[in-house]
Amino acid sequence: MTSVQAEWLERDRSVGDRPVMTLLGVEKYFPIKDGVLQKVVGHVKAVDGVSLEVRRGETLGLVGESGCGKTTLGRCISGITSPTGGGIYFRLSDVDRAALEDILAVPEGDRTSEQRKRMEQIESRHLVTALTGDAWRAYRRNCQVVFQDAFSSLNPRQLVKDIVGRPLRIHKEASGAELTERVVSLLESVGMGRQHLFRYPHQFSGGQRQRISIARALALDPEFIVLDEPTSALDVSVQAQILNLLHELQRDRGLTYLFISHDLGVVRLMSDRIAVMYLGEVVEQGTATELFERPRHPYTDALLAANPDLDADVDKEIEGLEGTVPDPANPPEGCRFHTRCPVATPICGWEVDDAVSWLSVETDLLESMTGVERRSNFDATLAFADDDSAEAVGKAISGGSMPPAMSPALESMSVEASKVLLKFRPVAPVELEMVEPGHVTSCVLHTSRRREL
Amino acid sequence: MTSTAAVGISAEGAAGALVASVQDLSIHFKTKAGMVHAVDGVSFDIRDGETLGLVGETGCGKSVTARSFMRLVASPPGVYAGGKIDFWSSEARAAGGGPVNLLTIADDEMLEIRGNRIAMIFQDPGKALNPALSIGNQLAEVFLQHRSEELLESFGPNPPVIIRRAANQESGKVERVLLKLPPLRSKAAKVRGEVEDRVAAALAETQIPNPRKVMDRYPHELSGGMKQRVLIAQALACNPDLLIADEPTTALDVTIQAKILKLIRELQQRHHTSVLYISHDLSLVREISDRVAVMYAGRIAEIGSTDDVFRQPLHPYTRSLMAAVPSSRNKRGELAAIEGNVPELIDPQPSCRFHTRCPYAAEVCGEVDPRFLRHDFEHGVACHIYDEPAELGIGPDKLPSYERRTR
Repeated sequence: MTSVQAEWLERDRSVGDRPVMTLLGVEKYFPIKDGVLQKVVGHVKAVDGVSLEVRRGETLGLVGESGCGKTTLGRCISGITSPTGGGIYFRLSDVDRAALEDILAVPEGDRTSEQRKRMEQIESRHLVTALTGDAWRAYRRNCQVVFQDAFSSLNPRQLVKDIVGRPLRIHKEASGAELTERVVSLLESVGMGRQHLFRYPHQFSGGQRQRISIARALALDPEFIVLDEPTSALDVSVQAQILNLLHELQRDRGLTYLFISHDLGVVRLMSDRIAVMYLGEVVEQGTATELFERPRHPYTDALLAANPDLDADVDKEIEGLEGTVPDPANPPEGCRFHTRCPVATPICGWEVDDAVSWLSVETDLLESMTGVERRSNFDATLAFADDDSAEAVGKAISGGSMPPAMSPALESMSVEASKVLLKFRPVAPVELEMVEPGHVTSCVLHTSRRREL
Repeated sequence: MTSTAAVGISAEGAAGALVASVQDLSIHFKTKAGMVHAVDGVSFDIRDGETLGLVGETGCGKSVTARSFMRLVASPPGVYAGGKIDFWSSEARAAGGGPVNLLTIADDEMLEIRGNRIAMIFQDPGKALNPALSIGNQLAEVFLQHRSEELLESFGPNPPVIIRRAANQESGKVERVLLKLPPLRSKAAKVRGEVEDRVAAALAETQIPNPRKVMDRYPHELSGGMKQRVLIAQALACNPDLLIADEPTTALDVTIQAKILKLIRELQQRHHTSVLYISHDLSLVREISDRVAVMYAGRIAEIGSTDDVFRQPLHPYTRSLMAAVPSSRNKRGELAAIEGNVPELIDPQPSCRFHTRCPYAAEVCGEVDPRFLRHDFEHGVACHIYDEPAELGIGPDKLPSYERRTR
């Protein structure tokens, strides 16, 4: 066994503050295919440039609404699907990370051969998609998943003994009587027992099934577990049992969790740090207390305001958000949340699509629109069937009824016969910025771009 | 379980008139293993204009109870094993009439009530809308079913028979062809116009922007929140006396959920509709209800005003359930879980259904059905602690004080 592999297979859990998973600009685009030839006409950007780090022994919570890409990200990290861009690194040391980031900052063509070699070396050891052989097996056994739906994630035709024992069999850890004993001890560690060995999944309640899923995930004594909404299909009383169990296991076995959920109360309870996702991007990240007590992003604010809380003041009403989540195939410019943001500013990324959707919701003027000629998302010409409708649209836009955050972003608007030319001030994409140690946000109200206002 | 006590609570404590009164309702399901007592002697009242929250975990019988109001429980395998649901429609009350029993009235009477006097919003807006009908056509059905007389008003006292039949959705194939030809075409268009006006108004009420445009859309073109608004519009189209909302926001995101909740509350106040709001989410029920009924394993464990139930829960189940909700005050790993699982409800023996998981259970709990008692004004509970404290060795005064969730 070479030393590289030896390093991989070491089971040392003593190191306290070491990254287990490092994500650098991870992207997962799903192609949209159309036509007879199934030509790719666009991409659904499910995960769009996410950088995160999960350190040993901690729980990182991942929250967001349905469709924000949190499950896709979990699936990428656990190796079920491969990202289409960026890198997921397993046990990437801080030194290697710094070296890697330096190299990545250099455009690909300009890298020296030494840099390329160093990068190759790091990737072959740590980049999940580049792992082979023993390194790949070591990663797989150390990274397990518990899925949301314990009904469809357990094979209905297998006995509990086979379900929980399968990872042990695949990795040739045990067989025969020893396998059975290992399975029994795994079942006992999740509060079940020998009497459940020879039963099928359908004979169990939802909570018990989730326990079986957890036992299966624990079989190879992994370091890291992705928990993808592990309790959202369960009742509160059973949810509490499972959450307590997960905490106990983490404490006793030094596990590292990525806890994905849409339930803020659950995430707050279980996580040390929390990342909030919206439309494929992380918009804010910080420690659980920081994030809940001093949120620095309007989307986090909105999630908190909408979350009914038993402890909250009875008279405090929950507040919702206007509009719907935009299409992830064509995400908004600038801050992706600006289309629904209650405190949006002129520099949040207003574009032609925003003007069009505002007009179509507020007026009937777009009925006679015949086409949009787009030079960029910020600059386009709307064509109308006749001069009068173009005139009317021009009046509506200059009439002052445009949302107050949007109108200053409009650089110019002119009506030429049956055409309306719209030009918005282009803005750069928002970046995550640290606002306090360990607390990052992408909202321009809190980052250095505040000065532009 | 005796129901008289539960009814007594409402009769004495009633602040206003009743819209519905459920008495000793039992609904069983026939299975190979035996009779499943899904709903087992449930009694509660819904008062005029109030929101009653019905809260409980999966399989406690809350949805079956709700569906029985509209007689939507498939039978077989369902069996209406006992009890009754009295319903006072606003018309009957105005005429000084008494209630009708929803479980026994004739099918055509039920047709008049269903969707008209009692309406329902279902959990999954994706499944509750017909994917093959445009939103406009879907909502038009409600008006054609229940408001055909109003639609024909402009034709005077004797509208053409063929038009009357069209407005009642009774047209045959030949009639449908005739309706497309002059001179009937313009008359049919008039009815159609009347319907569309009403549909647009109903959609506008649920704050759907551009209702006329949405009417031409199909369900798959709308987002989940939008679909739920359409279903609310459909449910409130006939201004019902009772709206049953069966987990209307479970399939939605929290930010959308908050909007829908607000909408239901606003419309309820504007139309003076009574609401039966069903949910598994305690915090949500606290948000929207005036009174709360907590169900467990087919029975009502506790009922009372939202304030009373959440400030001073009486039943050990209610207490455990509230303690199990994660909150900022919990330490990790110290969540108060309720051990064990919900019992099987196949041919159950007399007992408190919660005794297998109850921290205070004594022998009597496994042998005798607890009576439903009035604890104080409007606050009732079915628990032996409050009935036979001597047997349990613990009385209500000995229960740990409930401090966690106060104002």
